[in-house]
Amino acid sequence: MYKFMENENGKPQTADTFMPVAGESLISMRNIWKTYQMGVEELHALRGVSFDVKKGEYVAIIGPSGSGKSTLMNLIGCLDSPSKGEYWINGHQVAEMTDDELAKIRNKEIGFVFQTFNLLARATALHNVELPLIYAGMRAGERHDKAQAALASVELGDRVMHKPNELSGGQRQRVAIARALVNHPSILLADEPTGALDTKTSMEIMALFEKLHAEGNTIIVVTHEHDIAERAHRVISIRDGEIEKDERTK
Amino acid sequence: MNFTETLKLALAAIWSHKLRSFLTLLGMIIGVTAFMVVLSLLQGFNTYVDEKIAGIGSNSFTVRRFSFEDFKNTDTIAEAQRRNKELTFEELEFIKERAQLVDKIGALALPNSAELKRGAVVMQDITISGTEPIIGDIENIDIAEGRFFSEAENNNSQRVAFIGAEVAQKLFPGGSAVGEEFTMRGIPYRVIGVQAVKGTVFGQSQDLFVKLPIKTYGANFGGLRNSRGIYFEATAKSPKLFKDAVEEVRTLMRIKRKLEFGEKDNFGILTPDAIAGLRDSILGPVFIVIIAVPGIALLVGAIVIMNIMLVAVTERTKEIGIRKSLGARQADILKQFLYESATLSAIGGTIGLILAKLLGIIISALLIPTTIPWYAAVIAIGVSAIVGILAGLFPAWKAARLDPIEALRAD
Repeated sequence: MYKFMENENGKPQTADTFMPVAGESLISMRNIWKTYQMGVEELHALRGVSFDVKKGEYVAIIGPSGSGKSTLMNLIGCLDSPSKGEYWINGHQVAEMTDDELAKIRNKEIGFVFQTFNLLARATALHNVELPLIYAGMRAGERHDKAQAALASVELGDRVMHKPNELSGGQRQRVAIARALVNHPSILLADEPTGALDTKTSMEIMALFEKLHAEGNTIIVVTHEHDIAERAHRVISIRDGEIEKDERTK
Repeated sequence: MNFTETLKLALAAIWSHKLRSFLTLLGMIIGVTAFMVVLSLLQGFNTYVDEKIAGIGSNSFTVRRFSFEDFKNTDTIAEAQRRNKELTFEELEFIKERAQLVDKIGALALPNSAELKRGAVVMQDITISGTEPIIGDIENIDIAEGRFFSEAENNNSQRVAFIGAEVAQKLFPGGSAVGEEFTMRGIPYRVIGVQAVKGTVFGQSQDLFVKLPIKTYGANFGGLRNSRGIYFEATAKSPKLFKDAVEEVRTLMRIKRKLEFGEKDNFGILTPDAIAGLRDSILGPVFIVIIAVPGIALLVGAIVIMNIMLVAVTERTKEIGIRKSLGARQADILKQFLYESATLSAIGGTIGLILAKLLGIIISALLIPTTIPWYAAVIAIGVSAIVGILAGLFPAWKAARLDPIEALRAD
C-alpha cells in the first residue's frame, strides 16, 4: 500500500516516455528488473527500481542482506546489466551495452571503493592507483604524475612505493579511494567502505568522504550500517528488491 | 594497454614465481636444446659425409671404377668386377684433350697405410695417397707452410711429400718440417709442404696423412692398380655448367670405352648431389625419428605451460576481477595472459638455445664440428613463443571471459 502511494508521489515506474535531459541527472534508473533463473523458478532480485541521482549528491543505499542492494550496486557500477529497464549514466544508455562497452564506462564514469580494498597485492600503491589510467590508455609520464597527485590528495604522498601489506587498513582504503578518483569518474561508488575497518579508522574514512563530497564529487555508498548511512544527505532503503523509502536527510 | 606495458606485466608475473616458472620451462628447455643439438649434429654429419667420406668438395665430381649402383647386391658387385675396368691415364688424357666444359681434371690414387720413421720417432697406420699436382688446385688445399707438388716433381717421381699438420708436429717437433726428411719402407722423402690444421671428426684426427706425387706413389708402393687404382677428380668451368660438364665427361668416357647406345656405364661418376641423395635415402628415416623425439618434448613442454597458465588464471581470478572493475576489457585480460605464456615460453627457448650452443661446443671438440645455423636460432625462439601463445590461448580466453562480479568474489 505504501509503495503504491510512493508511485503516485511522482516516481513513474514506466520507461516508455523517459528520456533524460543532459545535465539534469547523473544517474537515471527507470523500472529496473534483475531476474535470476534458478532451475524452473525465477528469482527477482530487483523488481522495478527507479530513481535519479543528480551531480554532487551524497547518497546512501541501505538495506539488509538479501534485499537486492548488492545487485543494485553491481548494476550502478556497470558490472552487470539489468534484465529489464533503462539505466542512464552521464548521458550513456548502459542497459544494453556489450561487455567491452561496460568496461569503458567503468573506466571513465565509475570509481569503485570496496569493503576489502581490492588492491593488487604485488603492486605498489602508485601502480595500483595507475591501473585505471593504464586501461584508459594514458602515457606513462602523465599517468605517473596523476597517480602521485591522487595519492597526495588522500595524504599518502609519502607512501607511494609501499605495497599494500606494508600499509594499515585505513591507508589501504585511502589508496583505493585515490585509485577510484584518479580518472575523475562521474560517481564514487563505495560498497561497505568501512566494513573491514575499526571504528576510529572508519570515522577517518567517512570524514574523507565528506571532504570529497564538499569538493563536488558525487558519492553513492552502499551499506547495511545505519550510522554510515546517516552521514549521507539522502538515504534510499531497499527491501525485497524494491525501494522502500527514498528520503533527503540533510 | 600497449605492448611494452603488457610485456612488463608478463615479466613481473613470471619473476614473482621464479622457481615455478623455471620448473615449468624445463620441458621447453629440454625440447629446444634437444632440437638444436640434433639439428646441428645432422648439419655436421651431412658435411662430414660430403667432405670426408666422399672426399670431394661441393664444386667437384669424381670418375671412379665403380658407381653406387654397382654395390646394390652381390650379383651387381660381381658383374661390375667383371665389366668395369680400372681407369687409366690414357682415358684421363682423352678427356683432358676433348672436354670443353671441364675446368680442371686430375688423377688420384686410392690410399694405403704405412709406417713413418724419423730417427727414434715412429708413426704407424698413416694414410698414404698419391695425387697429381693439379689436385692441390681442384681441392683448394689449404697450405700452412711450403707448397704443393710441381709437375716436374711428379714427372720425375721425385721423393717429396706433402704432409698433414699432426704428422709434421710429431715428426718434427719444435721446428719447421719443410726441407726435412723422414722414411717410409726404408725410402727417404723430403717434406715440401704442410697442410693447415683440419681438426678431428668422430675422434679421428684429419691431420694424419702423407700425400705423394702420384707417380712417386705408384713407383714406390707397387703400381697404380687394385687397391691403389686411380680415379679422376674434376671441376666445371662454372657452377652453371656443372651438370653439363658431368654429362660431357660421361659421354667422353663412353666413347673412349666404346660402349654402345643403351649399354650400361662401366664406370661410375659421383657428384655431390648423388652423394647427398644416397645419404638422405639411407639416413632420412633415421633423421625423422631423431627429429620427432625433441618434437614430443616440445609438445610436453607446451602442455605443462598450458597447465601452469590455467593455475595462474585460477590463482589470479581476484586480480582479473579487480582489473575488470577498473576498466580492463576482455582483450586486455586476454593479452595479459597470452603475453605471459608467450614470454615464458620464449625465455625457455632462449635458455634452450644457449644450452644447445654450449653442448655444440663440447660436441665439436669431441666428435664432429657442429654449427647452429642462425635461422635455426630464430626458429627455436619463434617456435617456442608460438607454442607459448597456443598453450596460453585457452587459459587466457577463460580469464578474459570471467564474469567480473564472480571474479571479485573470489579469494
